Amino acid sequence: MKKENSMKKSLLGAKASRRLSNGIIYFILVVMTVVWLFPFVGILLESFKTETKMQTGYLFPKEFGFDHYVRLFTETDFLIWFKNTAIMGIATALLQTIFVLAMSYTLSRLRFKGRKALMNFMLILGMFPGFLTMILIYKVFSDAGLTMNMAPLGLIIVYCASSGMGYYVSKGFFDTIPKSLDEAARVDGATRWQVFYKVIMPLSKPIIIYTILMGFMAPWGDFMMASYIVHENSAGMSVAVGMYEWLSRTNMNTHYTMFCAAGVIVAIPVTTVFLLLQKYYVEGVTGGAVKG
Amino acid sequence: MKKLNDLEYLKLNKLQALWYKLQLFIFAIPGWFKRLGLKIWNLIKSFGLGVKDETLDIAHTFTKGNWAVKLSFLIFGFGNLYYGQILRGIFFLLFEVIFIVYMILPSGGGYWLGKCNWFQKGATIGTVQGKFEYDYVYDTDVWVAGDDSVKVLLYGLLTVIFIVAFIWTWRLQVKQCRICMDITAKGKKVKSGKDDLKSLLDDQFHKTLLALPLVGILAFTVLPIIFMVLIAFTSYDAAHDGYSNLFSWVGLEHFNELFNFGQGGLGLAFGEILSWTLMWSFFATFSNYFLGMFVAIMINKKGIKIKKFWRTILVMTIAIPQFVSLLYVSKLFTTSGLIGSALNKIPAIYNYLDVNNFVSLWDSPVVSKILLIVINIWVGIPYIMLMATGILMNIPQDLYESSKIDGASSVQQFTKITLPYMLFVTGPYLLTSFVGNLNNFNVIYLLSGGNPIKGTAGGASIGYTDLLITWLFKMTLGSTESKYYMASLIGILVFIVVAVLSLIVYNVIPSTKNEEDYK
Amino acid sequence: MATVKLTNVKKIYGKDTVAVQEFNLDIADKEFIVFVGPSGCGKSTTLRMIAGLEEISEGTVEIDGVVVNDLQPRDRDIAMVFQNYALYPHLTVFENMAFPLRLKKTPQEEVYEKVTKAAEILGITEYLTRKPRALSGGQRQRVAIGRAMVRDSKVFLMDEPLSNLDAKLRNQMRAEIILLREQIDTTFIYVTHDQTEAMTLGDRIVIMKDGFIQQVGTPTEVFDMPENLFVAEFIGAPKMNTIKTQLVSEDGKYYVTPYGAKIEVDGKKADMLREKGAEAGEIILGVRPEHIVLADKDDPAAIPCKIVVNEMMGSELHLHVVVESGDRLIVRIPTVSLEDEERHNLVHGHTIYVTFEGKVMHFFNPESEKNILL
Repeated sequence: MKKENSMKKSLLGAKASRRLSNGIIYFILVVMTVVWLFPFVGILLESFKTETKMQTGYLFPKEFGFDHYVRLFTETDFLIWFKNTAIMGIATALLQTIFVLAMSYTLSRLRFKGRKALMNFMLILGMFPGFLTMILIYKVFSDAGLTMNMAPLGLIIVYCASSGMGYYVSKGFFDTIPKSLDEAARVDGATRWQVFYKVIMPLSKPIIIYTILMGFMAPWGDFMMASYIVHENSAGMSVAVGMYEWLSRTNMNTHYTMFCAAGVIVAIPVTTVFLLLQKYYVEGVTGGAVKG
Repeated sequence: MKKLNDLEYLKLNKLQALWYKLQLFIFAIPGWFKRLGLKIWNLIKSFGLGVKDETLDIAHTFTKGNWAVKLSFLIFGFGNLYYGQILRGIFFLLFEVIFIVYMILPSGGGYWLGKCNWFQKGATIGTVQGKFEYDYVYDTDVWVAGDDSVKVLLYGLLTVIFIVAFIWTWRLQVKQCRICMDITAKGKKVKSGKDDLKSLLDDQFHKTLLALPLVGILAFTVLPIIFMVLIAFTSYDAAHDGYSNLFSWVGLEHFNELFNFGQGGLGLAFGEILSWTLMWSFFATFSNYFLGMFVAIMINKKGIKIKKFWRTILVMTIAIPQFVSLLYVSKLFTTSGLIGSALNKIPAIYNYLDVNNFVSLWDSPVVSKILLIVINIWVGIPYIMLMATGILMNIPQDLYESSKIDGASSVQQFTKITLPYMLFVTGPYLLTSFVGNLNNFNVIYLLSGGNPIKGTAGGASIGYTDLLITWLFKMTLGSTESKYYMASLIGILVFIVVAVLSLIVYNVIPSTKNEEDYK
Repeated sequence: MATVKLTNVKKIYGKDTVAVQEFNLDIADKEFIVFVGPSGCGKSTTLRMIAGLEEISEGTVEIDGVVVNDLQPRDRDIAMVFQNYALYPHLTVFENMAFPLRLKKTPQEEVYEKVTKAAEILGITEYLTRKPRALSGGQRQRVAIGRAMVRDSKVFLMDEPLSNLDAKLRNQMRAEIILLREQIDTTFIYVTHDQTEAMTLGDRIVIMKDGFIQQVGTPTEVFDMPENLFVAEFIGAPKMNTIKTQLVSEDGKYYVTPYGAKIEVDGKKADMLREKGAEAGEIILGVRPEHIVLADKDDPAAIPCKIVVNEMMGSELHLHVVVESGDRLIVRIPTVSLEDEERHNLVHGHTIYVTFEGKVMHFFNPESEKNILL
């Protein structure tokens, strides 16, 4: 009997402790929400300040103003950078998708001599820091006139040309489509090309959207390649490279809040697109990780 | 070391089993290298045998072939044309003509090859040094351009590739001519050009699909990497940029410089940066991994409401371009930044900065390293959270039920089921993520920029938080001190580090060996 | 080594979805009880309530006289085998089986002893260092059983353990479980949807439908004396034939009149009818396929019918026949009793005459579908 009592007690304790642990979790989640949103709210608020430099001690603008937004478009090259990046984003999204899908589809669903060897080769190739290639590419591009003002074009080529090497996630996706679908179609008389575009592609919407999304986001986030190719030439800059300069020691005092305003304008389209297509992104990330 | 059989092994307690496994692991290492060596040896052997077979085959083709096949040894695609494969024939012939014309042209392949002085120590790449010469017309010294070493080496390399392609094509077309002959002898029809084109959409479809991506990879990754590996053996730097000053072959000299730990050598700087890079990568990977998983478990817990909301908040950080959020966050931690100024009010921190004459938190090597790891957690948790959520949902529920009946508490369920399962499934991901962090340019460069500055090495000012990749970047930024050869050398070393790591991981982690285990 | 008692157990999901109700059952020590019924009948839910994986909405579950309603599964001293085996993919077979012992911090020697002993009984010693993935379905099932065995628990629960195996393996494992039972010697509760498993394994069978117990009894009881039409149709393969017809009483004798024939009820069933004083009138007659026999054309008890499907099962012949009214019956004839000539006639398209064995018929009330003899 005694034993029973103690057991009951522990159960009551368990219920209370479940409530307690849920409470702790909610607390942590709320704190996390604040921490994770802080920078974004911060950027947004600071962009409405009328001061130009970083101010200590307060976050909320003492005086709301759209000065920086106006100045962005009138006094700086921001619009050019934005346009450059947008063009790069769209072009990369399209080209990269073609490259990645062609590569991953082939490696996943077609069997040919040298397939394994090709995959191993790309694996080893991927171990070199990709940036290393930029030294030669820059040299060649500058001879070909694809740097400076024409940097966006050059960068599109850089982003897309080798993108076939990033086939892992979408290969993982194609691997999950049953092989019997191909076989059924082939028995029904379809060529491999017809299998590709009539059977598999219609099934691959999630991964196509994922790949497009990744391609679109790449130029917005890339700093390394872009700054290397553009080389301090404003007309060819992407937003990342252009805005980076605003926070250098010399420009900080005059451009800090403008950076925030520009940040807001950059973040809006990218975040909107991303959140709209979030579902596909999540599928890609989780699928890719499990497949390795 | 005594090998135990299954039952003997199972008798061991935890410590003994661990010790036994460790021994097995250590004793297995020579085995890996032996296997690796064997693999390489087999590769060489099969290559040798392949060449031998091919040679015999070619000789055989030559003796057995009719006049058309024999002639195709000299004239590409002749056999194809003879047997009616017009499209292939023309293609091969065109290739030969282009090759020959390119090689004998005054500024063609032969010309570039000659200028390269392949691997002759001390010899310049390119033979004509540009210089200022007095010009009568302008009555001043004007620059008379000579060779550009970069261009010479590049064209030289391209020519070598072209020659290899030529030999390969020669072999290919000879073989095809022979096949045509055999088919005709059997009374069948050879494939026509139309058949060839059709097959590109069917049984040769992989060629069609791979053509574009592979050309891209060859031109923009393989070629530049071969080129940069070559650069490691030259003296290419800002002073010898190949145009105003030719650069030359130096052999293994730079390896000495990099591994020279004394005065003038980069050994010390390299060692320090490499160890910080590895440390960073370790902390960045595992802190993210465990915390991200923890967050995923919290959000997934039964009874927690508005799961989607919590996830979306985190996912938003992925959406916003990193340079915006990271640059902003980095400024938050400066003295005038919101968080920095708040932290400065804490006496301990204030005193620490004051004593060391630091203006902001970023000036302290230790603090900036900690900040980087902490901020990287902010960056990384959402990715891991998403991934972990997917995996958590894949863990069969009955595992938890079964363990519940067997007496597991929720902590035990985590340590004995969730965690091992996650590690098991994400083993390969951890490796990729580790490698990704080794080369995590964005986070370091946008947050600390590699600062605080420690000194200069390899023609770039380096800081306490520089990774190999940011060091490499700084080395090539085109300042007067740039040392391209050193950058390429470091690139090669990064490759070696990654390759060795991968080799170890692939031999240890079970899920990489047996991918079927968890599918 | 325990008794289990369920009293008025009820399970409600959400607001008003009732999965199980009025569940009363006394399980004796070392008894092998089988819960059987179609999917969705509440059998698994009941098992999971006993295990503590589902909360009990109403009523009590007692193990060895202790009410366990509020106990965590780990405190109930039970072991369970799951349908999908629930093996940990990252652990070896040995560690899978040792898992419950590890949780109790059992010393290594004891773990080793218990696991190897169980493995030996189950014949999986050679697989101890393998991972579950490297095992076949039958072997995995053995590991799952082994994991439950090493715990020496009071009650052994099994939730459709064989339903993921192919037919042949299922038969083999079924036989092994019968043997196992002698080795383990504890109280078993076994859930299945397969009546053959239930009949062959159970000391007693609990037949369930829509959350209610339909009948509890030994295999013989439920087969010979089904409480209602559902149990009658559920137990036995092929399914019992049911015919709407009249029960007629003449001169103290009972007759049934299916399809114009007149068949006398005799033997024990006639006695029971008399005892009950059953009234003549409309009934549902239940006849198992093996109780339909061939008859002479001139016999008043003969029913003419046409064979539409004949299935040769080897030792017996299953005939699907259609009577004049369009009803279908299934007839099961042992091949041993057939002459070659007869067998030629028992094929598709032929007309045959059959009648029913009078002493093994079942009678159900057409409204309540209850057995009128009970």
